[in-house]
Amino acid sequence: MDGRAKIIRTMFLKWPLKKVVLLLVPAIAAVLSTGCHDNKSNLLRIGLASEPKTLNVWLASDASSRAVLRLIYHPLYVRDPKTLDFVPWLAESRPLYDPAGKTYTIGLRQARWSDGHPLTSADVAFTVKLIKEFKTPGWSRWKYVSKVETPDQRTVVFHLKKNFATFLSRTLQIVILPAHKWRAVARAARRTQKPLATLMRYKNENPLSSGPFVMKQWRKGAYIHLAPNPYFFGRHKIIAGHRMGPLIKGVLFKFYGTTDVAMLALRKGELDMYWQHIQPGYMDILENTPHVKIINSPKSALYFMGFNTRRPPFDDVALRRAVEVLVDKHFIVERLLQGQGSEMWSIIPEGNRRWYNPHLPRPGEGLNREQRIRKAYQILSAAGYRWQKPPLDADGKIIARPGDLLTPGGDPLKPFTILTPPADYDPARAISGTMIQEWLREIGMPAKARPMEFGALIQQVKVRRNFDAFILGYGRLPLDPDYMRSLFHSRNDRPRGWNMSGYHNPEFDRLATAAQREMNPRKRRKLVFAMQSIIAADVPYLPLYLPTLNQAVRTDRFSGWVSMLDGIGNRWSFCLLREVEGAP
Amino acid sequence: MKDNITSSTRNLPYWSQALLENWGRLRRNPTGRLGLILLLAFALMAAGSFIPPLVSPIYNPMHGVDPVISHTSGPSLKHWLGTDFIGRDIFSQLLAGARVAFMVGITAAFMSVVLGVAVGILAGYAGGWIDTILMRTADMIMVMPTLLVVLMAAALFGQLSIWTIVAMIALFRWPGVSRVIRAQTLSLKQRPFIEAARIAGASHVRIMTRHLLPNVLPLALLYMTFRVTSAIIIEAALAFLGFGDPTTVSWGMMLQWVWKTGHMFQAPYWLLPPGICISLLTLSFYMLARAMDEILDPRLRRQGES
Repeated sequence: MDGRAKIIRTMFLKWPLKKVVLLLVPAIAAVLSTGCHDNKSNLLRIGLASEPKTLNVWLASDASSRAVLRLIYHPLYVRDPKTLDFVPWLAESRPLYDPAGKTYTIGLRQARWSDGHPLTSADVAFTVKLIKEFKTPGWSRWKYVSKVETPDQRTVVFHLKKNFATFLSRTLQIVILPAHKWRAVARAARRTQKPLATLMRYKNENPLSSGPFVMKQWRKGAYIHLAPNPYFFGRHKIIAGHRMGPLIKGVLFKFYGTTDVAMLALRKGELDMYWQHIQPGYMDILENTPHVKIINSPKSALYFMGFNTRRPPFDDVALRRAVEVLVDKHFIVERLLQGQGSEMWSIIPEGNRRWYNPHLPRPGEGLNREQRIRKAYQILSAAGYRWQKPPLDADGKIIARPGDLLTPGGDPLKPFTILTPPADYDPARAISGTMIQEWLREIGMPAKARPMEFGALIQQVKVRRNFDAFILGYGRLPLDPDYMRSLFHSRNDRPRGWNMSGYHNPEFDRLATAAQREMNPRKRRKLVFAMQSIIAADVPYLPLYLPTLNQAVRTDRFSGWVSMLDGIGNRWSFCLLREVEGAP
Repeated sequence: MKDNITSSTRNLPYWSQALLENWGRLRRNPTGRLGLILLLAFALMAAGSFIPPLVSPIYNPMHGVDPVISHTSGPSLKHWLGTDFIGRDIFSQLLAGARVAFMVGITAAFMSVVLGVAVGILAGYAGGWIDTILMRTADMIMVMPTLLVVLMAAALFGQLSIWTIVAMIALFRWPGVSRVIRAQTLSLKQRPFIEAARIAGASHVRIMTRHLLPNVLPLALLYMTFRVTSAIIIEAALAFLGFGDPTTVSWGMMLQWVWKTGHMFQAPYWLLPPGICISLLTLSFYMLARAMDEILDPRLRRQGES
């Protein structure tokens, strides 16, 4: 017993004197070093939902990687935050093109990479060459560019095989890479068996920047620190009426696995902005927190229900139209999105004013359940559908459980499935599926909603093409309406093709091809309007809703966020943000 | 002990007598009684889950919504526990959740126990290489973390239906049962009555089903009660993480909705009920199992108890 007591006494009395001090020193040092990290408090602190997967621009498909890369690599033209027109960015002015629309000449600004190396036409030509040679993602837009010439250091000339209305708005939207850094990477990749895979595997941890910020430090699992780029071309220049910065001392990206933790950090003042969309549930509490503001921005997006027009039952346009009437978009927006969005009536969002056709019919708008059932009943009966027990009784009253719907041929309609992404991926779409299932059953359609893992869903719809209907969305829809051609042109009805509905309409194909090549904006607009009318009448896709983007910022340290399409995390914001005077 | 048994039960086979006796003990055991009361309350909830949708379609737990309330709201006369983010009644969802929990818990536990008992008796009785193969298989499955494996399956094969989840839980939870049943079988096998049966010419199948099975049944029942708890927790965890069956309203699913829509810290009336229910229901099964354990293992009984 005595011996044990002695040991214990030794542990408690002698041990601390010597060892605790030794142990405490590194511990204190560790705490202080985290303190140093928090000393970066004069930086703009941005919360991302996850750590960027890569800074290799060819591999970056996740939102976090793109958020960081957006400050580093830049395109020739960017959109004006208000008008959404193109503003010359790395380019000096708008492109000059010949009357046939086959040669584009673009002058470049006097710009430098963050290592001081000049940014020249050779960089542009190299980037295009890289895309075409390695067939990087999105290379198909460059198929029709036959040649890129560089008459001098600040002039690039693009030669096209055919004229394209989408050259500026789609093709030229690439970011320019530093040739003097990537040339060696490309050379090494060329020597391997799978050049593209090697190129995409390149880590690019210290990218050279042409933008307002440059990578300073990436501490894996903790943060990414960007410092102002001393060579930024825009510094103190006036572009599109704005005097460019950057006026802040740097940006610190932090990663938050769950929204709850990020919200707590924002409310406690440990974050200045959270990049992710804020779910309606957090709104009340954020709005009541001092110095926290929620900024709503429009989105260019399309959330829709797609039908498989290749096979029954949805090869019949009458059935698709009946579904359109039965689906209550108002309910989805008001309840599932909690009012944070708007109903969609065309494949092109209403906010895209230049191309949206405002004269489209809006079937089912403002109807209540009963009126919807009556209207769908009319559409279906007119097309020859019958019921084992009709949804309207002899007095014209709606009955709760009608019998099975019978096709014009007299057979019962085969049960069909509505595929949706899983609830954890997007609760709104998954629950929409269940609600739509119930609405369709009200008229005797044997519908069943089935949430499916996202990758499996895409495989089923795009590759195997074995489905009846699905609910999907495009969160980042281009502003140029050319995507309509991709979605509905019969040529794209092939495995992995974009025409997931299998929609075929020669008239649409003709209009789409003409619209792609029409250089006169007014004439092109007319064609795009006609395309929207055809799709609205044939309903291969049923547009559902367009959510708004809510992002939360703190107002006590920084001001000057620029809200534009797709949120405040745009290049303009980072060039114009300034510290609030007397900020904590 | 035998004196307590009434004349009507005297004629019953041994195992029914034992069951009746143990039932009496269970009722006298305070832990068991509390467990039973709780369980009964949840059984009532599950049975009552059919009522709200009959009262009005707005009380349908999955797609019934209040025509006026289109956001989450606190308890009121119309909605006793309030509504969720699209105006669905939380109380109806809670009742439906009880039904799903029972369904998942009991089915999964039953399936795993049937499998476990069959394997256990066979391995114990047959011995030799059959025993070795079965028990090594059991060992291999036993070390696999059920939740992780089901999560991976859900990630690989897409959304699983509630019955697939039940089947998977059952498939991964039988080895524990089979180990215990095998041990019991090994001890029973040496008893004179098995020897007697064999000499009397009973087939192996008959010995296993008529002589061994009734004797391991109480133990199997005990294990089933423990398994119910783990099955309910696994299903809730899966649903909470977003891998549950989205077409069923389970408590885990309710928690997922509350979390994903950002109401975790804003709507306690929505967050707490499913959480409390999961805890209480698993607790009730656990208490019941503890009490049964005491009853079946005489060494655990208190002094003076028969």
